[in-house]
Amino acid sequence: MAFTRIELIFILGLSALLLRALPQLFLVGKNFPDTWDRLLRYLSYALLCGLISITLFMSGARFETQAAPYRGVALAVTIAIAYKTKSAVTGMLIGMMLVLIFAWVR
Amino acid sequence: MSFAPRFRQGMKAAIPIWIAFVPSSIAWGIAAQAHGLTIGEIVLMSAWVYSGPAQFAVLVPLAEGKSAATVLIAGLLMNLRFLPMSTALAPFFRGVKRMPLLISSHVVSASSFIVPYLQFQKEREASAGLSVADVYGNLGFFVGVGATSFTVWVAGTTAGYGVALGFPPGFEEALKFILPGYFAGLLVSEMKGWTMPLICLASVIAAIPGALLNPGWGWLATAAAIAILGWSLEKWLSRA
Repeated sequence: MAFTRIELIFILGLSALLLRALPQLFLVGKNFPDTWDRLLRYLSYALLCGLISITLFMSGARFETQAAPYRGVALAVTIAIAYKTKSAVTGMLIGMMLVLIFAWVR
Repeated sequence: MSFAPRFRQGMKAAIPIWIAFVPSSIAWGIAAQAHGLTIGEIVLMSAWVYSGPAQFAVLVPLAEGKSAATVLIAGLLMNLRFLPMSTALAPFFRGVKRMPLLISSHVVSASSFIVPYLQFQKEREASAGLSVADVYGNLGFFVGVGATSFTVWVAGTTAGYGVALGFPPGFEEALKFILPGYFAGLLVSEMKGWTMPLICLASVIAAIPGALLNPGWGWLATAAAIAILGWSLEKWLSRA
């Protein structure tokens, strides 16, 4: 069965909404046992870290060999500053400046 | 605190996300236009699917008329991450009616998950584990982050359709860093103990081979495997 692009976008959006809404509708207010709460937290954080990694170091299916070391250093500095200052924005701004400096120097 | 002040609080917390969303959404608009999608399809996708990674992942198969299964499976796999995120947020909305929950759940994204989630965790710890009574306040904070970021995303997409990015290459590089840098900063500034940092470090490293093996879902699989492994190890060590 052939679908038009609009129909495919509609189905895609519907599946995304289901994945977002089902836990909200059926698990709302439920306090999970501590061990499951931890698993959920670990899963969410691991997915975010994976997302950080592919956003910074990948371009489609290709590893950005040239830029990766610079971005890796900027990420490490961001983490160190954010940890020390307990401020994500400060860490991000300093990391961003570093990336800019690296881009100009390269 | 009721809905409105918490909504404003959420809006303020979302400002770095807006800044990060501007270049990404414009880039999406430009890429989608270059692949031949119409303005209607581009805006519909941003507003209805509202998932940057999934939108980029399905762009080529969608534009090239690949099979519906290819497009839908790629999109579904990229969106699977919403399931644990939405589940983790659910306990904080106890007592909220289903219709507001259904509507607000549309703006669950990586950004609109992590900012409220960390805020709610902090508030729960401050109240010594007692549940926060004003659940509509929690919803207000979440919607303040999510709905405003969503608006920026859709508006940026529309702008991207007509406007080509004129940033010099170095500046573009810095813009690309905003969102991952902000996520990393948020995660690390709230971390305690050893399990979480180890899981995060392992996920960052393993995502690369995962994505090289399969650009669509390889990194999702490695992240899930590492989280489950870390969780199982922690359980096993606590029993030993």
